[in-house]
Amino acid sequence: ERRYRSASGAPIALRRRQHSASCRELAVRCPRLQLRSLSAATSAAWLAAYGLFVLSENSMVLSAAIFIMLIGLIIYLHFVKIDQESLLIIGSLGIQMTSSYASGKESTTFIEMNQVKDVVINEAIHMQKVIYYLCILLQDPGDPQGVSEVVPLFQSSKPRLDCLIEVYKSCQEILEQRKTAPQSS
Amino acid sequence: ENSPAPLPERAIYGFALFLGSWFGFMLYLIWAYVPETWLFSLGLTYWPQKYWAVALPAYLLVAIGIGYVLLFGINMMSTAPLNSPDTITDNYAKKQQQKKFQEEAIPALRDIPISEVNRMFFLPEK
Repeated sequence: ERRYRSASGAPIALRRRQHSASCRELAVRCPRLQLRSLSAATSAAWLAAYGLFVLSENSMVLSAAIFIMLIGLIIYLHFVKIDQESLLIIGSLGIQMTSSYASGKESTTFIEMNQVKDVVINEAIHMQKVIYYLCILLQDPGDPQGVSEVVPLFQSSKPRLDCLIEVYKSCQEILEQRKTAPQSS
Repeated sequence: ENSPAPLPERAIYGFALFLGSWFGFMLYLIWAYVPETWLFSLGLTYWPQKYWAVALPAYLLVAIGIGYVLLFGINMMSTAPLNSPDTITDNYAKKQQQKKFQEEAIPALRDIPISEVNRMFFLPEK
């Protein structure tokens, strides 16, 4: 497991596993939710609610603040905070992307190898910055020259170029076997 | 025939615009500052309300300020999202024709596909 940095400076870790000659798994782990940032956010929100209570003399403000904090924390952990994003490439079968959320939820997407044209590092403008990101180029099976769709990978961990180059090299080693292996239909 | 050199016609247009803008400015100042009764006594009764003498410049300045924010927002909205093929290619690149390779000549300008560019940058040649 190697340590890298994300585009915004947070530390991330890349883990590579080779299951067989044509199957690799690459997982990027983001930093977990820190207790100090959670405590800071909770204290700030409850202080603001207490200030509102002092101004308005209405005790519903305090219970509403507690309720909103709990619901907001659950929603954040279940829908927003991604702990780990992994990429599983099986040479003859396809590519599978898995995102694991902090609440334990996992969402997977699978793309079969016929539709995959290439895996490339692209650079694009994102929120007043130019970032490098890894993406899968999809092709129409009937039109092998054109790019029908672009699927960006590692969207929430946003690794920097050094980590992306490692992932790119691993993917290209598997994808090159497609050309040399005999076509089986 | 489209040179920016000075010509007699251009000098006349410029001077006419100069006189016209001075006249317009003086008219605006007179309308804004001279009391209505004096203007009525001269017989000139059909003026817009003096409210507009202050409102129109205020509207103009606020519009200019909002224009900065609007332009910034329009730029952000027209940026292609990360999952759009516009970041990879466009119509001109798809329809480009391959020119024949000639010996000893500089190769023709063309849009290189992103897979080729990536291989050149990131895969070390053995």
